[in-house]
Amino acid sequence: MSLALMLVALFALIAIDVPIAVALGLVAVAAMTMTWGAHTLPNVGLTLFDSSTNFTLIAIPLFILAGAIMNTSGISRRLLALVSSLVGFVRGGLAMVTIGSSMLLAEISGSAVAGVAALGSILIPAMQKRGYPTPFAAAVTSSASTLAVVIPPSLPMILYAVMAGTSVVELFVAGIVPGLIGGLMLMGCAYALARKRGYPVEGAFEWRKVVVAFREAIWALLLPVIVLGGIFSGWVTATEGAGLAVAASLLIGAFAYRELDWPSLKRAMITGGVQTAVVMLLVTTSALLGDYLTQLQAPQMFAAKLLAWTTNKWAILALLNLFFLLIGMFLHSAAAIILVVPIVMPLVHQAGIDPVHFGLVVTLNLGVGQQTPPVASVLVTACSVAKADIWEVTKANGWFIAVLTFVLLLMTYVPALPMSLVDYFYR
Amino acid sequence: MRLFLEKTLEWIVIALMTALAGVVIAGVLFRKLGAPLVWYDEVAPILLAWLTYYAACLAALNRAHIGFSKLVDSLPARARMAVTAVREVCVIGFFALAAWAGWRVLQVLEGEALVSLEWFPAALARSVIPVSAVVFILAEGVAYVEWLAKQEEHDA
Repeated sequence: MSLALMLVALFALIAIDVPIAVALGLVAVAAMTMTWGAHTLPNVGLTLFDSSTNFTLIAIPLFILAGAIMNTSGISRRLLALVSSLVGFVRGGLAMVTIGSSMLLAEISGSAVAGVAALGSILIPAMQKRGYPTPFAAAVTSSASTLAVVIPPSLPMILYAVMAGTSVVELFVAGIVPGLIGGLMLMGCAYALARKRGYPVEGAFEWRKVVVAFREAIWALLLPVIVLGGIFSGWVTATEGAGLAVAASLLIGAFAYRELDWPSLKRAMITGGVQTAVVMLLVTTSALLGDYLTQLQAPQMFAAKLLAWTTNKWAILALLNLFFLLIGMFLHSAAAIILVVPIVMPLVHQAGIDPVHFGLVVTLNLGVGQQTPPVASVLVTACSVAKADIWEVTKANGWFIAVLTFVLLLMTYVPALPMSLVDYFYR
Repeated sequence: MRLFLEKTLEWIVIALMTALAGVVIAGVLFRKLGAPLVWYDEVAPILLAWLTYYAACLAALNRAHIGFSKLVDSLPARARMAVTAVREVCVIGFFALAAWAGWRVLQVLEGEALVSLEWFPAALARSVIPVSAVVFILAEGVAYVEWLAKQEEHDA
C-alpha cells in the first residue's frame, strides 16, 4: 500500500469523525493485510498490548491524577492566592495572576487542559466581574495555561521522550528557561494591553497579605520542590516522581488542608483515567502503523528526500516548525507527537539536531497549536468555561499567540537558551 | 444498560488508578528502603495496559476519544446519519478484529506465566485486549443508540 494512499485513507477516516486512534489502527491493518497478507493480523493483538506497557508512560496517568487532586483539595486555590498577593497590584492584575498561577500549577500537573479548567473557573468570572472583556479573559487564561507544555513536568514531553527514545529528565530541564521566558513575556504583553485599555489593578501591594498567603500556601509550594527536586537530582525517575506527586498531593490535601473528600477524589480518578486512555489508545494504535512504516523504512526515505533538498539544520528546523504549526491546527498535540515524531527522528539525527532541543521545539510548537482553531483543546476549554465564542476569543488571543510564536522562534534559533542547563547538569 | 456499563467501568478505572499509584509509590519506598519489589517493573506496566483499555471503553461510552467532528456536524441531517453509520462500522470493525487477534494471542500463551510472578498466568495479563475490545464494542453501540435518539429529537 503506497504512503500517499495511506495518508488519503487516514484523512478520509478522520474527516468522517472516526476517532484518530481507530483511524490509525484501521489504516495500519489495511496496509499490513495488503502488503503481507491476512496471516499477520494476529500480530495486532500483540502490538496493542506491548505498546501499552511502556514504563515511562505510567507517569502520564499519575501526573494527571496529581493535578486533579491538586484542583479538588484546595492546593490550586492557595497557590492562586499567593500569586494574587504578589502581582495583583500591577495594572491588569488579574491577568498577571492568571499567568503567574498557570506557571506555578504547571510545575505540578503538567497538563494545560487541567490548568485552564482549574484556573479558568475561578479567574475568568473574576475578570468578567472586574470589567475585563470576556474574550480577553478567556484568551489570557488559555495562552497562559499552554505554558504547562514546556514547564516541567510536561505530559507532551513524556510522550515525545518515549516516541523519540530520549531522556525525559533532560527534556524537563530544557523546559525551565523557555517556561520562565514565556511566562514573563506573556505578562509583559498583558501589562501593555492592560495599560492601553485601562484594565483595573487589584489593590495596593501589602507585605502582610503576602506573608499570610505564603503561610497558607507553604504546603502547596512544597509539592513542586519534592517532585521536581526528586526528579532533577536523580533521586527518583520521572515515573516515580509522578508517583511521589500523587502521594504528596494526597497527603497535603487530606491532612494539611483537610479539603480532600471521597466524591472529589473519585471524580478525579475517573477523569484522570479517561484522559490517560484517550492519549494511550493513540499510542497503541499508532504503534501498529509505526511497525509497518518502520518495515518499509519510510522514516529513512523521508529523511533522505528532505536531506537531498537541504542539509542546513536551521532550514530543516524552519520546515519542521512550519509543518508542526500546520498540523497543530488540525491535530491534538498528543496525536501530532505520536504520529509525526517517529517519522521525522531519523531526519533530526542526520541533520545534527539535538533530539532534546528538538523535543522542546516540538512541544512549544504544539503549545501554539493548542491556541489555533479548529482543533485547539486548551482554547476550547477556556471558551467553554467563559461561555465565549471561539472566534472572538481567537481574535483577542492574537497578541498572546504572537508572543508564544516569538518564544518558539527564540528557542529554535538560540538553542543555548533551553540547552545551557541541560549541558551544565547532564552532559 | 448505560448506567450499569458506566458504573462498572468507573469502578474498574478507580480500582486500576488506585492500584497503579499504589504500586509505583510502594516501588519507590521499597527501593529506597533497600528491598526492591522484584515484580514492580513487570506489574506496573500491565496495570497501565489495563487502565488504558478499560478507561478507553468509558471514553467510548462518553464519546470522548479525540476526533474531528466539525465536518460531520456541518452536514445536513440525512448525510450526517449516513456518515455516522459508516463511522460506527469502522470503529466496531476495528475492535472486533482486536478482539479476535487478542484471543488468538491468548491461545498461544496458554500455560505461560509472568517472569516475576510465576503463579500469575501471562494470558490473564493479556486478556485485557479481547475482553476490553468486546466491552468497547458494547459501549460504542450504547453511545451510538443514544446519539441516534438525540438526532431524532433534534430533527423533530
